[in-house]
Amino acid sequence: MKNALRALRAERGWSQQDLAERLEVSRQSVNAIETGRYDPSLPLAFKIADLFGLTIEAIFTNPAKEADQ
Amino acid sequence: MPSTPAGRRYLKRFVPTMTAYVVALFASNRIAEAWQPEGVALVALSFVPALPIIGVIVVIGLYLAEEKDEYLRQRIVVSMLVGLGLMLSVTTAWGFLEESGVAPHVPAYFAFILWCAGWGAAQCVLALRERMQGSGA
Repeated sequence: MKNALRALRAERGWSQQDLAERLEVSRQSVNAIETGRYDPSLPLAFKIADLFGLTIEAIFTNPAKEADQ
Repeated sequence: MPSTPAGRRYLKRFVPTMTAYVVALFASNRIAEAWQPEGVALVALSFVPALPIIGVIVVIGLYLAEEKDEYLRQRIVVSMLVGLGLMLSVTTAWGFLEESGVAPHVPAYFAFILWCAGWGAAQCVLALRERMQGSGA
């Protein structure tokens, strides 16, 4: 799933490791989500959204809407 | 296994369990040679080395239950399924070859070794793919 995680992370000057520690996951997890290789579970997606103070939709692109574009 | 708390707990359990396997295998063989037991005693003695291996399977199960990193857990489960596919394919094909008399008999415990080999190979492929796609940091 496409997402704005890398941009949001860069805005705050965080490394993947920094974000991973804040989310209590591995750096590999952050990398896999950022590159779209892994779609996080809803609890993790909410955790990411809460961390950035945004909604899930503001961070992750709805694949159905992406196909319409 | 990854260096997560669950991964570290796995290693702490895995090492003594595998050590127990080596000791059990060695002891079982030596006792069988020395006393040549029969009947129930032989059955019990032959079963001894299998116990730590069953223990290893429990240790793997505990890791899966305890791993909190969902991506790492998913990656390991996928690798285990690759191992399962390899094990089932090879043992099924081997069974028919054996029945036709074109392949020798192989002890059933090789199924676990095959599963581990398939799991390990799949883990390596996934890790390599991850590395080739870059960290994106």
